[in-house]
Amino acid sequence: MSMTRRDAFKVAGATAAVAAAATFTGCAKAEGAAPAVAPSQSHVTLMPKSKGKRVVIIGAGFGGLAAAKYIRKQDASIEVVVLDRRDIFMSCPFSNSLLGGLEDVTLDTLTRDLYAGAAKYGYRLEQCTVTGIDRASKTVMTSCGSVDYDILVLSPGIDYDYKGQFPEWSDEKIRHVQQQAPAALMAGSEHLALKRMMDNMDGGNVIITVPAGKYRCPPAPFERASMIAAYMKKEGIEGKVIILNATKNIAKGKAFKEVWADKYSGLIEHRDDCTITDIDLTNNKIHYKQIVGVDKEEKEIVETKVESFAVLNFIPKNKANAVVAMSGVKTNAWGGVIMNGASFQSKDDKHVYAIGDVVGHGVPPSGQTANWTAKEAVKEIVAQLNAHEPYKLNLPYSAANVCYSMVTDGPEEAIMVTHDFSFNGTVIAAKATVPHPKDGDGKYRSKGLAKATREWYRGILDDMFM
Amino acid sequence: MNRRDFIKMGALGGVIVLTRPSLIDQKLFAHDGRLYESFEKVQLVDEEGTPIKASALEVDVDYIFQYPHAGTPCILLNLSEKSEVNVELKDALGDIYLWSEGVGKSGSIVAYSAICSHALTHPNKSESFFAYVPKGKASAAIEKGGAIVCSSHLSSFDPRNGGKVLGGPADQPLASIVLEHNAQDDTLWAVGVLGSAKFNDYFNAFKTEMDRDWGGKRQAKKLVKISAPTVKLTKFTKEVIQY
Ligand SMILES: Cc1cc2nc3c(=O)[nH]c(=O)nc-3n(C[C@H](O)[C@H](O)[C@H](O)COP(=O)(O)OP(=O)(O)OC[C@H]3O[C@@H](n4cnc5c(N)ncnc54)[C@H](O)[C@@H]3O)c2cc1C
Ligand code: FES
Repeated sequence: MSMTRRDAFKVAGATAAVAAAATFTGCAKAEGAAPAVAPSQSHVTLMPKSKGKRVVIIGAGFGGLAAAKYIRKQDASIEVVVLDRRDIFMSCPFSNSLLGGLEDVTLDTLTRDLYAGAAKYGYRLEQCTVTGIDRASKTVMTSCGSVDYDILVLSPGIDYDYKGQFPEWSDEKIRHVQQQAPAALMAGSEHLALKRMMDNMDGGNVIITVPAGKYRCPPAPFERASMIAAYMKKEGIEGKVIILNATKNIAKGKAFKEVWADKYSGLIEHRDDCTITDIDLTNNKIHYKQIVGVDKEEKEIVETKVESFAVLNFIPKNKANAVVAMSGVKTNAWGGVIMNGASFQSKDDKHVYAIGDVVGHGVPPSGQTANWTAKEAVKEIVAQLNAHEPYKLNLPYSAANVCYSMVTDGPEEAIMVTHDFSFNGTVIAAKATVPHPKDGDGKYRSKGLAKATREWYRGILDDMFM
Repeated sequence: MNRRDFIKMGALGGVIVLTRPSLIDQKLFAHDGRLYESFEKVQLVDEEGTPIKASALEVDVDYIFQYPHAGTPCILLNLSEKSEVNVELKDALGDIYLWSEGVGKSGSIVAYSAICSHALTHPNKSESFFAYVPKGKASAAIEKGGAIVCSSHLSSFDPRNGGKVLGGPADQPLASIVLEHNAQDDTLWAVGVLGSAKFNDYFNAFKTEMDRDWGGKRQAKKLVKISAPTVKLTKFTKEVIQY
């Protein structure tokens, strides 16, 4: 959807953006079923003009909701408006536990009343699709009208980059692949579709692809492989999980490899250096090239391969959500916002902040990091709106990010990684540690960690909504 | 000591209130009335109801009692060294308050609300992700230990410094339980809660657990009277999970 129209959004200014919006909302998958906006409605405003202290946040996800709550907690004189195309909250974190069929994990576990935080903390949450941003007039255009801001916070998360990965694919093919081989890195029906496919499958391969470059939640595909394998074992589904990885990198690699060897031998197969060349949804086959070694001249030996699947979880390359480009602030090649040093303010525009997956720092794109970036950005914003001394981030920060992955069922076990954050002079960078838990008998995984995973999840959601 | 002087002041250096908790018998109002609340003075006793002797508390061991509500867990520690004195703390809203010091003969006994100030993780009867990591013991949250660690998102708090945040996503100290020590008979008493406690959020967040552990939310909310049974964490909960 949006990726194919992205270029249109690069044109700043209300008219151009709204015109683009008309095409945008008129096409493809209607997230939030936003009505098409005709150019003549460009003057429609979503709400009265700001009285001077309005923060507009794009995205009611892990970053945006934390930011909204904490601004209101810290300074109730600031007006906060959150815009999201969804009208129910659904979580990506913990969603692999649904695929694994873990006890008591249902759709209920993953969803929340999106408006709960707004009601409690007195901010506004408007369901609409953002279609353009005009920084000159400090206005955000949406499917329901425009809204002006004093500070804009971008927390729109990722987009899939099918077009970048397969320039030759038609929009129709992309939409087809998106539905038939759901990526499930953006919370919504994609996760449920994948679950349905798993429920319906009686045997065969489940293939999960891992893209090159930055993508949301680096351990997620490997956690998913583990959970799907656990499910297949439980259900007696004959077949295996094949991971086609564009690189050799496996986040929390030692810990995943250990559990795969101990518990899923012959059931999970990880293949390095695989470049997907095509997907054939008629015959359920995926074509790829794999680097299998080097010859005497140190040249890579590449083999062309094909594998069939019963279920395909095709995870394409990721890029920053198109909303970032709409703002026109300077970005890195991935689309992340170039930041003003150890800060979440954009380098270009002191009225624009970025948090969550779209920050141009070297921190992991995770929910907990999104939550942290939100809280730090809030302190910067509150200081700025009140003309106080600028807030300086609290760095270095050890154990800043903690990320658990469920790896087995019966009994449930999980592994963990922690990240320390520090400023390297250009960006905030992260250093990972995969610890052995005290209750793990020398293994990376433990039952206690599985309980901690559940508690982590409860806590991070409560921190957004309660 | 045994009398804990503490100061409360407005965020931007406003009014300063200097008082003694034992003299306060009603809620003290800062600009929004959150920073100190006195509750019924309650004696810490063991499971049989015998008063706990401060000097008999094992060093660096987690004890749990419920205060000020029947189902709000608090952690009691007899640290291996004396606490700091008159520690200035800041809550999430920027209000500054003063935590005076530990009690007991060597000023090493401290108590805190065991409900994590980040997102409410706490010891319950089946498990606890919340416990003290003694000095020198490593933890994923803090290299050198000497901290109360919440293993949910790895926040760590300094019990020698009024529950100040040492690391992790918590944005304010643990609320502290104001203790009094009677030097004559070596008994310990809880008299109030200092800092920002999240009891209401806690009661709302854990419905199933309230039913299972306390016979329902209303029961858990009842205020503790006369005495509070105090047991080791390992006795209170089935499993201590600590990273
Ligand atoms: C399977 C999986 C497992 C994961 N597990 C973990 C985990 O265990 N721990 C962890 O810390 N992280 C985990 N993550 C990562 C985590 O989900 C993300 O890093 C986090 O959601 C990023 O927050 P965000 O605010 O940047 O984006 P999001 O949470 O995605 O929020 C973005 C919001 O913006 C909205 N939006 C986008 N475009 C528009 C538009 N044009 N108009 C209006 N609204 C728009 C979207 O609808 C969305 O609600 C996992 C991710 C996946 C996919
Ligand atoms: S609940 Fe304790 S660290 Fe999050």
